[in-house]
Amino acid sequence: MADRVLVAMSGGVDSSVAAALLVEQGYDVVGATMKLFCHDGDLPDRPCCSLDSVNDARRVCQSLGVPHYVLNLESAFGRDVVDDFVNEYANGRTPIPCVRCNTFTKFRDLLVKADAIDARWIATGHYARVAGGELVRGRDHSKDQSYFLWGIDRSVLQRMILPVGAQTKPETRAVAHRLGLEVVAEKRESQDICFVPDGDHTAIIRQRLGDDAPALARGPFVLSDGSVVGTHEGFARFTIGQRRGLPGGYREPMFVVAIRPADRAVVIGPREELLGRGVTARSVNWLVDPPAVGASVEVQVRHRAPPARAEILRIEADEVELALDEAVAAITPGQSLVMYDGDRVLGGGFIERARPARAMLPVRAA
Amino acid sequence: MPDPIYLDHAATTPVRPEVLEAMLPFFGPRFGNPSSTHRWGREARTALDEARERVAQCVGANPDEICFTSGGTEADNIALLGTWRARRESGRNAIVTTPIEHKAVLGAVHQAVREGAEERFCAMLDTGIVDVSSFEALAGDDAAIASVMWVNNEIGTVQPIAQLAAHARAVGAVFHTDAVQAFGNIAIDARSTPFDVLTISGHKIGAPKGIGAVYIRRGTVIEPLFHGGTQDRGRRPGTENVAAAIGFARAAELAIAEREAKVAQLARLRDRLEHAIVARVPDAVVHGRDAAERAPHILNVSIPGTDSESMLMALDLRGVACSAGSACQSGSVSPSHVLSAIGVSPDLASAAIRMSLGALSNEAAIDRAAEVFAVCVNKARGMAAAGD
Repeated sequence: MADRVLVAMSGGVDSSVAAALLVEQGYDVVGATMKLFCHDGDLPDRPCCSLDSVNDARRVCQSLGVPHYVLNLESAFGRDVVDDFVNEYANGRTPIPCVRCNTFTKFRDLLVKADAIDARWIATGHYARVAGGELVRGRDHSKDQSYFLWGIDRSVLQRMILPVGAQTKPETRAVAHRLGLEVVAEKRESQDICFVPDGDHTAIIRQRLGDDAPALARGPFVLSDGSVVGTHEGFARFTIGQRRGLPGGYREPMFVVAIRPADRAVVIGPREELLGRGVTARSVNWLVDPPAVGASVEVQVRHRAPPARAEILRIEADEVELALDEAVAAITPGQSLVMYDGDRVLGGGFIERARPARAMLPVRAA
Repeated sequence: MPDPIYLDHAATTPVRPEVLEAMLPFFGPRFGNPSSTHRWGREARTALDEARERVAQCVGANPDEICFTSGGTEADNIALLGTWRARRESGRNAIVTTPIEHKAVLGAVHQAVREGAEERFCAMLDTGIVDVSSFEALAGDDAAIASVMWVNNEIGTVQPIAQLAAHARAVGAVFHTDAVQAFGNIAIDARSTPFDVLTISGHKIGAPKGIGAVYIRRGTVIEPLFHGGTQDRGRRPGTENVAAAIGFARAAELAIAEREAKVAQLARLRDRLEHAIVARVPDAVVHGRDAAERAPHILNVSIPGTDSESMLMALDLRGVACSAGSACQSGSVSPSHVLSAIGVSPDLASAAIRMSLGALSNEAAIDRAAEVFAVCVNKARGMAAAGD
């Protein structure tokens, strides 16, 4: 009997084509759409996870002749992803919920569902590849999503299929047309975070933490010398490197360079204050055997940032510290630090802090 | 894979061939609008009136007490909102109901509350039966309407409708019962049971989806939900679904004629299924088992340590179709409000599987379903036998 694969289907073109390719390759495909948050408010234009998306995924499966199920992972997603998202903002950080969704929801909770139906494999529409038991960037580097996948358990790589990772987005759309998946072939891409309506993340913070949440309360804009230069309407509206919404009248462009929840301060400064020469990450997960201290790796501190060369200074429990060869701008606590060797993903973690100066490895005797 | 087994008759049933045959002319040559004065209209109107009479006979009603609707949900809404709105000025403002009602009733009550009604939920016994003393305490002379379903759609427990309806009548409250799952399984007679309003639906008994009826006892005033024409005495404006009404009448007649034999057969099959499952999975918890009376077609079982969602997928992939809790619009599974209301723990409630029997059920199917069920349970509990 053919191997069974559970395909996580959002109703978009990538996961639809992933399912279709697996059907073509002879797998016993079962489609599943995860219901991750409540549809009570019903936002008609939401590109992902809406009722329409569920219906699109169901139609695609029907046309492929494979079963489709809707799986309610709402409470686990709320706990593992949404709560964390809100807490991170409350702590002056900029969360990256897609990473936690991949780590906990798609490649852990959904895997339990795969086990329940004897599915050997789990597949998604991510632009990344699995090769030789390792995670590798998608062939289309402009669409590469490996940055979001560092947190999955290494053993899951043995069960993971990423069928569209070997092709470009236009190729994916072409496959959709070739296979008659017109429902999804030209669907626009979702850019927003799926549970954040209209891209306004403050709404969900307000909903969870209340109108008087400190993260949404008025606070000072300060310079790094401590002088107060204005007021803002809540530090959760800001992220490191942001220029929009800052006080004006400076000779050079100003950026958010730090967020201090203790006194609700948003620290602003010129570009050089944005630069980091070192970075520490926590909750580190390795997808290969961990490299040695002193190893040179490439790191990416945000999605689509160009990789930067760095040296591993310290690996401890779930923490890693790196020294960057060249300064990198806007290293943001809460975002992911992902370590690469070329296209191979070595591992990653959540950025804890940046260091302005380059730390050095202690010179060893002998 | 062998033929799939359908164990979801409480969700819907296939249209019976006799019903389809009865309806066909009304999609073709007899297509008239019953409100038209010409021959096509007269012909349709006559057929519709006859259908109404035939449905009335099935529940011991007068024809003018039957109002065709689009199904059970509309009928429940007419029953709850229609009567409450008509009575709200009379000083009776309360609606008495149970927490195990179908969402059509609970949703209508919720809407009435938004319009100013007071909702009162009866206590439930853990047998799945309403606590009669709680009902009697809540349904006082300030109650506009009391609504208790006859047969629960998830666990099949039969409520003491005669007793509840008699109390409601004594205190001057309108009594409504959602009899969607009771119709064809329980004898329903408006002449001997003092309910005032009753809901029935077509697609649970072999008629198509989109047709149902609400019985409204003479003298019970309702405010219509729709506004427009004068169809059905103004109670339900809109051109009648003639073909479906005729199909419904045919299905209802067949259901009543076959009721006793069918009930005996389904109860036997249900017991067979229950015994086979309990024999293979001794710690299976059968919900509603301790009720004084259970409808013959519903078996609701929770297996500790499993979850409904995974079980439903695994069963379906092995060709056994059943359901869990109440499905939401997206098709995902939510924990059952019914099981929660009768004191079932959240863990057990989220493991519930409803198997409902009917026209497509026979011994061979039941035996195989029980076998597949046990295999899926063992899998879910990580005790899969080698070679499976």
